[in-house]
Amino acid sequence: MGLLAPLFLLGLVGLAVPIVVHLTERQRRNVVDFPSLMFLRKIPFRSTQRRRIHHWALLSIRALALALLVAAFARPFFEDSAVAIGSTLGPREVVVVLDRSYSMGYGDRWERAKTEAREVFEGLDASDRASLVFMSRGAEALLRATSDRARLLTALDTASLSADGTLYGPALKLAQTILEESEYPNREAVIISDFQRTGWKGDEGVTFPPGTVVTPVMISDESTPNATVASVVLRRDFFSGQERMTATARVVRREGEAPAERTIVLEVDGQEIQTQTVRLDPTGSTTVTFDPFTLSDLYTRGSIRIGSDALPQDDELHFVLSPGRAMRTLVLEGASPRPDVSLYLQRALEISEEASFQVTVRRSTSLSAADLEATDVVVLNDIRFPQGATGDRLRRFVEGGGGLLLVLGERSAWQTGLEEILPGRFGPARDHTRGAARLGYLDYSHPVFELFGGPRGGDFARARFFRSRNLEVSPEGRVLARFDDGAIALAERRLGEGYVLVWTSTMDAFWNDLAVQPVFLPFIHQLMRHLGGYRERVPWFTAGQVLDLSDPAGMVFVADRESELATDVAQVALTPGGGSVALPATAGPRFLELEEQGFYEIRPPGTNPERSFAVAVNVDVTESELESMDPTEFAAAVAPRETSAGPGAGGEMVTPEIQARNQERRQSLWRLLMVAALVLLLTETAISNWISRAATMRFEDGRSYVPSNT
Amino acid sequence: MAVRERSSIQGADTQFLDPAVLSRISGLDLLARTVVDGFLQGLHRSPHLGMSLDFAEHREYMPGDDIRRIDWKLFGRTDRFYLKLFEAETSANFMVALDISKSMSFGTHAVTKLDYARYLGAALSYFSQKQRDRVGLATFDHEIVEYVPPSTRHLQLILHTLARAEPGRPGVLRDPLMRLGDNLHHRGILLVLSDFYEEPEQVIDSVRHLRARGHDVIVFHLLDPAELEFTYESAASFRDMESGTMIPIVPDQLADEYRALIGEHTQELERLFTGSRIDYTVLDTSKPLDYALFRYLSSREKMARVR
Repeated sequence: MGLLAPLFLLGLVGLAVPIVVHLTERQRRNVVDFPSLMFLRKIPFRSTQRRRIHHWALLSIRALALALLVAAFARPFFEDSAVAIGSTLGPREVVVVLDRSYSMGYGDRWERAKTEAREVFEGLDASDRASLVFMSRGAEALLRATSDRARLLTALDTASLSADGTLYGPALKLAQTILEESEYPNREAVIISDFQRTGWKGDEGVTFPPGTVVTPVMISDESTPNATVASVVLRRDFFSGQERMTATARVVRREGEAPAERTIVLEVDGQEIQTQTVRLDPTGSTTVTFDPFTLSDLYTRGSIRIGSDALPQDDELHFVLSPGRAMRTLVLEGASPRPDVSLYLQRALEISEEASFQVTVRRSTSLSAADLEATDVVVLNDIRFPQGATGDRLRRFVEGGGGLLLVLGERSAWQTGLEEILPGRFGPARDHTRGAARLGYLDYSHPVFELFGGPRGGDFARARFFRSRNLEVSPEGRVLARFDDGAIALAERRLGEGYVLVWTSTMDAFWNDLAVQPVFLPFIHQLMRHLGGYRERVPWFTAGQVLDLSDPAGMVFVADRESELATDVAQVALTPGGGSVALPATAGPRFLELEEQGFYEIRPPGTNPERSFAVAVNVDVTESELESMDPTEFAAAVAPRETSAGPGAGGEMVTPEIQARNQERRQSLWRLLMVAALVLLLTETAISNWISRAATMRFEDGRSYVPSNT
Repeated sequence: MAVRERSSIQGADTQFLDPAVLSRISGLDLLARTVVDGFLQGLHRSPHLGMSLDFAEHREYMPGDDIRRIDWKLFGRTDRFYLKLFEAETSANFMVALDISKSMSFGTHAVTKLDYARYLGAALSYFSQKQRDRVGLATFDHEIVEYVPPSTRHLQLILHTLARAEPGRPGVLRDPLMRLGDNLHHRGILLVLSDFYEEPEQVIDSVRHLRARGHDVIVFHLLDPAELEFTYESAASFRDMESGTMIPIVPDQLADEYRALIGEHTQELERLFTGSRIDYTVLDTSKPLDYALFRYLSSREKMARVR
């Protein structure tokens, strides 16, 4: 209930005036302030007879009459139209929320769900309206508030499952909005789903409007045995100059009665190359490692499948791989170097499992443009920085995205102009006279040391440094490692698109023994990966993700050729289902929504390249956990908090005239209040006159005195 | 009743512990020093309690560490720098929770209950600072009014906050003490100063929350002699200082019953607090501060032994 003119309630203050005056006058004298009256018993204090209230009933009637008058002027009304209308039948606003997440593909669930929805639509009256909302991780209102039953049934017939998971929030919110916008008195939400618990967060914040009837329709099976390819780990290694991939798949089985044997197949480029048979317990998981296969072509498509079951969508997992590019490293060590100055560096880079390094050691300080063209990282190992044209080329190489590592030793020397390239100014060599220095600070937030930040992540403190060069870092530089005496061991500077790193000790066993420590090899690999901008490729995406094909920073993990990112050329994406999505030339972002499970192929229209750009898409495996929640629990969570008195009687359309009548009914309470106040005032007048007559005292001189009633 | 017991520190000079004398000292800083130093002088005991120099472990030297703490003997044996670490390197947090609700402004002699609480808070904060504790303060009525987080450098800020604390609003214990408990992330000693005009169950519910969070809680229940003895004579309208409601009272007919009620109230509080391992003391604001200081000192000693 609400009030149209609540300010009139201020009139109620008037009721308190005589009582307050009476009480305050009585207690005004001799007031003592006391901290608390919680222990004090109230004792009636003798007041004057004049102020005693004689006729409580009369005072109550007058106060009540005044209160009713004030309430009538405040114009109370009922907020709930159903209460006021008093009618229950009438046109209905029905929203059907149909779950089309891929778990609804289990057995014949999808067909059963559509049958349930069809029955709802066929049961609609001509004046009813219905909406069809599809639910997956997102929500889509295919038809909104329509009375056209044929369109609703057609939309239902053409609906298909998605490859997406379940999330109740968006679809329920959409249904709530449709119902809130409806002016129909009878609202109904029918939710047809398998009610997977994984999609329910508990904080959806959805509450249907008052009066809404929520009907959950459970589509389930008594038991849901299901096997899933839960994940695949792909490991690269190099053998005899060839790159090989080893796939290890984890297979999970949920429910079932007895152990079962399942066949797992590895396919590469559509060819079945390996098959393994595993024994799966009723509820358990196992891993299967396939023999390595050679990876020689760009965009090699692979799939791992287990025999199909009631939920085929999670029985396969796809991936796209390309050969990893060897990181080309050029080590310059001067014309007459110290023996083995680059030996440890070279050996460390020649041993690698994941990213391969191609190392070239050259005893020269000259660098041609062709050299730099074929190089990702340049290491100046204990030599002077090249001057003149070579130095300028080296600078442009870094600004263009190359990496430069300066290893300081006996032969390194500071030259004018280096302050614009290096992260700081280095000085003469100094001995650590108070015993060997150790690395005391490492910036674990930096990509070079990030790997070593965890527990047992490598012990740099074991390496002893006997000699190093001082380095004063400029404002552009960043310190990545310090010795325990505070001197800088490694510093970095960003130059254009590339990085320059300065290591203030040698990379051999001359000034320090880091090269013979276990941590040396991963440290060198991390250094080179960072300098060379190495990125691991993303082998697959999850259905529902969106790719921006125009974003080079994001697509570097996906595309292997720069031409695939050119947005000035029109392209077309062929979907796994055989459809196509046009990707016209544009200057802005170019989005591709990955809705289907399988391989998306992206190429210029009208062409058919042998190895086109491909992206693998898999379903979200959390959706294959088919445990359901109780539909009544679900309905209780979203049901309106204030239910109406029920559907109305009358079966009328809600026209403007009806709306006006309903509004008048909701606000008509003031009339009753006015009548009641009038009756009370008449009663009070009668009682007051009667009391007055009875109490009139006549004095001898003929005058009369009427004492106050209050 | 506890307030009528005599202090067992007979040797202490209580001249500067008398509230009437203290009320003539203007600065809380001077007052705290006068009270604590005079009290400790009479006590003839070391003020440092709870400190420990027990060796705990070695830790490798890191740049920025104090080189005076390097264990040179170990360096001689291992050629590596290690620091010696000790238990109880850091002192305790000492937090004063001061009720500044309107009822605390009541007083029928030289000082009000709030003044008395101010003196106690200042003296014990100064005392704890001397102990090398981190001291903090929270004033509250129905919400936290001022909050000074515990720190070794906040004594002057606490004294300043105490000096300008003004009673004015009705008080409720539960909400501010709950909030205070949420704010204090490190366990420590918490001194609650209030007149506790709530039902005993509500009071213990409010304070037990702090004890449950691991704090050592000491409760001082401050009452004016007039509240304890109810020495009014003539009939009058008694006005509740917090709610403003008035009740006509004839004290002659009520005094005995009142004294019995407040006696039951304090006994019930004592029973409940003791059951929750909280030190509870009723303080008559006309009595010298030495009793309160002694009770605090005993509690600290007890806690130091337990910890």
